[in-house]
Amino acid sequence: MLDMTPQSRVEAFLFREARLLDTGDFAAWLELYAPEGVYWMPSQPGQTDPLNVASIIYEDYPILSIRVQRLFEARALVLTPMPSTTHMLSNIEVEEGDDGIVRANCTFLCIQYQSSEQKTFAGRQSFELEPVGDSYRILLKRVDLVNAGGTLPLITIPF
Amino acid sequence: MDMQEIPTTDEIRDFVRPHQVHRRAYADPEVFKLEMERIFGRMWIYLAHESQVKEPGAFFRTRLAQYEVLVTRHTDGEIYVLHNRCPHRGARMCMVDKGKSQLLNCPYHAWSFRPDGTLSTVPHKQSYPESFDMADPINHMQRVKHVQTYRGFIFATLNEDPAPLLEQLGEMTDIIDNLNDRAPEGEVELSESSFTLEYKGNWKLHLENAADIFHPTFVHSSSVGAARRAPQNASKIDSDQTRVMLEANGFGVQQWEGIQLKGLANGHTYMSNFYSKGVMVDSDEDPVMAEYKQQLVAAYGKEKTIETLSVDRFNNIIYPNMVLNAQHQQMRITIPLSHDRTLVRVQCFRLKGAPDAMYHRAVRFLSTLASPASMIFSDDVEMLERVQVGLDRDDSPWVDFSRGLDIDQTDDTGAVSGVASEMPMRVQFKAWVEMMTREAA
Repeated sequence: MLDMTPQSRVEAFLFREARLLDTGDFAAWLELYAPEGVYWMPSQPGQTDPLNVASIIYEDYPILSIRVQRLFEARALVLTPMPSTTHMLSNIEVEEGDDGIVRANCTFLCIQYQSSEQKTFAGRQSFELEPVGDSYRILLKRVDLVNAGGTLPLITIPF
Repeated sequence: MDMQEIPTTDEIRDFVRPHQVHRRAYADPEVFKLEMERIFGRMWIYLAHESQVKEPGAFFRTRLAQYEVLVTRHTDGEIYVLHNRCPHRGARMCMVDKGKSQLLNCPYHAWSFRPDGTLSTVPHKQSYPESFDMADPINHMQRVKHVQTYRGFIFATLNEDPAPLLEQLGEMTDIIDNLNDRAPEGEVELSESSFTLEYKGNWKLHLENAADIFHPTFVHSSSVGAARRAPQNASKIDSDQTRVMLEANGFGVQQWEGIQLKGLANGHTYMSNFYSKGVMVDSDEDPVMAEYKQQLVAAYGKEKTIETLSVDRFNNIIYPNMVLNAQHQQMRITIPLSHDRTLVRVQCFRLKGAPDAMYHRAVRFLSTLASPASMIFSDDVEMLERVQVGLDRDDSPWVDFSRGLDIDQTDDTGAVSGVASEMPMRVQFKAWVEMMTREAA
């Protein structure tokens, strides 16, 4: 294995998350999250409050696991046929905090294809990562869509 | 194409049979134009809530029939509805959904208007002719003449001589009252955040779906199944609300025959509630509900509190564009764009004076039901779009709404009760024919 700097170790972790989503390995994707980990996609630009302001997704591991289960359900109408995706990450910045938590943020682009229709989603992702051995677990992932607050298309596979 | 002809009044009557509706009601752009003229252009249409235009200068942008309008609060506190168009050269003026400004400015030649639509200033006034009259309404932003508010809900109509708003709302004022009565301070505020979803389908499909107790078992089976298999009370952030909501869509015979449906004049319908678990029900073991009930009792007394909370209704559909759920403080507004494109704006209410946690639950309800990533509404939207695809083709002219036709009960007032019935859709189409064939006043 190559020697990895903290930067490249975080990059490898984020790329792995993107690959698991692209390959439809949602069960393995879910296991990247800590038991108290939260996935948050705000509905508004710059949103700071997930309780008094609605979110597109504000879910901890147990709710996310229902979402993942649904991705495997043959009868999910909006997932028929299953969309295919390409998740791309760029501009990755990593910061190690005094509290031992690694904070990372990056831009993303996600192409989703389903029933001869292609959709593009873009924005910024930010992470709070807890180091575990050579890797990490996600404590918080925040996804800010570039078109948050606008009229959005349906979102099926997470970014 | 035979579909380009404007349908006659007799043809419109023929589109609706006791148990069937012709696909042209959904698929014909000429029918849509008539709907804009005769339904959305003549009836009272809900536009906004007073809490969205609290301060003088506050405005909210929305649609009334085929027009874009601004709901504004003037400096004297009055509410106005203005066409979003500069009278000078016709430019669309306001480009944002909401905001606050003492003057509305047209960026083209800088005419500026007060929140009541009157012209405030024009640059280089000396170059306008003597006949140019700042006070002439032709130089003002055009007002919608009839605007009325019922307990915070702002309605407007393009009808020159409308029937009274309360006559059109009929008994449905009781659910607006109930929503307000659920607030310890007697008032509600609309959430700052909302979701706006666009689907490729006719506007009536959303209202039918909101009144349809048969589809959830099938359309939502993927999230029902996932929620049933998930452990209870596992989430640390939502008191199990999301899982309970997803699971509740698994209707069986008990719900089909147990949910009471009611159909009223003017196309209004409602259904009894079907949430029976967890934080979605009124339970004394729930500390948030206990605190909330104490506040209600302090404000209104015990008897009135019991009466308010006993109104156990889910979707209340105020024809032609509102779906109101007072018990869970939710509202969906249907905004038609064309015969095959519709916006649905989804919002929730804060009960003024209630515990913050009550509002957090309403916000969670909104996200779970209707976010673009919702595990519920996304499947509804998918189904509405598939229906439109089928109706746009002329394979066969009729769709069927016959279920329950022989078992519905009609009382002396004309109200219809039913269970296991497509009666709500029949009630909606009865009103649709009345409105579409009524002679203009």
